[in-house]
Amino acid sequence: MKLNMNVQKLFRRPLFGIFLLFGIIAVSTSWVCIATVDSQLSEEYESNSRGIAQTIADASVDIILNRDLSALQSLIDQFLEIQGISYIYIVNEDGEFLAHTFVPGIPGEILASDPADTGTVERVLSGADNYVEVGSPILAGVAGSVHIGMDKSVITLKIQQAVGRQMYLISSIFLVGIIAAIMLMNLAARPVEHLLTYAVQLARAEREGEPAPGALLERDDEAGQLARLLLYFSRVADPEKAGALARPEAS
Amino acid sequence: MRALTRRKFLRTSILGSLAAPWLGPGAAFAQDESAGSAAGFHEGVSNDEILLGTSAAFSGPSRGLGIELYRGAQACFTRVNEQGGVGGRRIALRLYDDGYQPVPSVQNTMELLIEDQVFALFGYVGTPTVTRVLPILKKFQEENVYMFFPFTGAQPQREPPYGEFAFNLRASYREETAGLVENFLRIGRRRIAVFYQADAYGRSGWAGVREALGARGGQIVGEATYTRGAAYGRSMGEQVEILRNAGPDAVICIGAYGACAAFLRDAIDLGLEVPVANLSFVGSENLLQIIADSVDDSERYTRYLVNSQVVPSYEDESIPVVREYAELMDRYRPEVPESLRQPDYVPFDRSFVSLEGFVNAKMLVEILSRMGDSPSRARLEQAVFTVRDYDLGIGEMVSFSEQRRQGMQRLYYTVVDQGRFVPLDDWRARFG
Repeated sequence: MKLNMNVQKLFRRPLFGIFLLFGIIAVSTSWVCIATVDSQLSEEYESNSRGIAQTIADASVDIILNRDLSALQSLIDQFLEIQGISYIYIVNEDGEFLAHTFVPGIPGEILASDPADTGTVERVLSGADNYVEVGSPILAGVAGSVHIGMDKSVITLKIQQAVGRQMYLISSIFLVGIIAAIMLMNLAARPVEHLLTYAVQLARAEREGEPAPGALLERDDEAGQLARLLLYFSRVADPEKAGALARPEAS
Repeated sequence: MRALTRRKFLRTSILGSLAAPWLGPGAAFAQDESAGSAAGFHEGVSNDEILLGTSAAFSGPSRGLGIELYRGAQACFTRVNEQGGVGGRRIALRLYDDGYQPVPSVQNTMELLIEDQVFALFGYVGTPTVTRVLPILKKFQEENVYMFFPFTGAQPQREPPYGEFAFNLRASYREETAGLVENFLRIGRRRIAVFYQADAYGRSGWAGVREALGARGGQIVGEATYTRGAAYGRSMGEQVEILRNAGPDAVICIGAYGACAAFLRDAIDLGLEVPVANLSFVGSENLLQIIADSVDDSERYTRYLVNSQVVPSYEDESIPVVREYAELMDRYRPEVPESLRQPDYVPFDRSFVSLEGFVNAKMLVEILSRMGDSPSRARLEQAVFTVRDYDLGIGEMVSFSEQRRQGMQRLYYTVVDQGRFVPLDDWRARFG
């Protein structure tokens, strides 16, 4: 038991190092993943939404000029089925809302905004939900504009999914790595264990005047060399045995 | 006139398969057991049958509209079939349930036109559904497929580019909203707000109110919306709050009975006691029944209610068509086919919606009979145009022409008195 504890103490720092290394890898790759997915998805959603806004703006011209507004509502309702699009509204050149998809009403934040602004705007509606809104002018703005709001929680959810998958992979690798590291450490610790056992047996033999144990002395690796060195030092400490040890060497 | 060619069939089949993934679980359909199979049909006409196609709401929160419209029409068709049909051909309906949802409605229509090859579309319910179906009719224009008398007053089937593929009998929402606005303004209620369904139907009514007020120098003072399919159990408190903050003198609702009944309930409960008007589409009896079944003092909740109608009161049997309708509804007590029947829905003996269905069917029978012994889709439009100053027995002459694709214009206003809808004669006395 004491033996195992000593070995664990021996490898505590390397194990801590492995943990630290994996932690750094997990955090850094997750951060890169979040930044990449967020950036790419946001750009993609914004680009797609701008394209949809442009499509609606083009299709709206004839409806606004010639047809009933129910056709305009029917048009935007179809686009609302696309994932990520949370709301659509169309205003005329005077800022009057001609069609929209808000329930139970048009949010105050949007009523207070400049309807002619078709740039990308980040909005917090209902005090909590985050949206990115893009717009497109109708007939270069002289017939109004189309605005599309995308729910940012969709992007957040996708980031969470991507990071979750990555963390799952890293955790699996980490688990396998730790098991492998412990096995390798145990493998590396075995000669040290043998050496320690040999040292204890040697000490017991010295104390009780028994012949020194022969195990390990034939090995030609570092454990064998250390065993022989231990045997040498034990005899150097005992002048009688040291002489016996010295004599054959002298002869 | 040509039937569907193989190429067209394949093309439309591909369109159908593209639409299929969008289908919801509610798109299940059923057929009228009385309808014959498509085999042996040419353009929906066989030697002994004329097959019409219907996609309407037979399930969901607005099922009462589809069920009652069908029941009224079926009362008329049953009598006609008993008397030998039209030119010796009985009239059959193939029914599909769309639950008042656009995507199933589109898919059902493809099924009716390609698989069932119906003679014409008849008895559709709702603006969001019909507006999505209209482009299909344009696609099939070489096949001369027409839609007859949909239960909606929206403009898309009344004006280009799709108006030429539909015939309407009822007054439009534009006319209904203009009538309501005019009457409210006349009695000094100038601040008008709108509660509407967030879709094409709601927008159509909203646009009608906006236009009517704009023509008189006014504008909508407040607006609130609800999601299509909202049932009576849903709270409309937020909507009431939005409108109450606008301080209206009257509210015009453009919705279906479940949501409008919920709005009326919450409006009264939250102290918004102003006249609340509904359009004919609302399903007046369904609305009244929900209120009566759910509150103790229903009179308090219906005191401010006024509904516009596109057919006269079903209790006024001095009107010939109402007398005929009442007699046939009592005689046949029509029900939807077993497969579409809703176990918890109890049909009304009479209602504005079933009366409209009856009038629609009566008008269609007249048109079909004008084609003589050889009905064909190619001659259908011209047969409609022969209807000039036709007396349908409703107190209004019906006419159609290339420029006039809506047969009637008359509106009727009703209020609740002693638990039933009665004509409103004096707006000022009631709401002034």
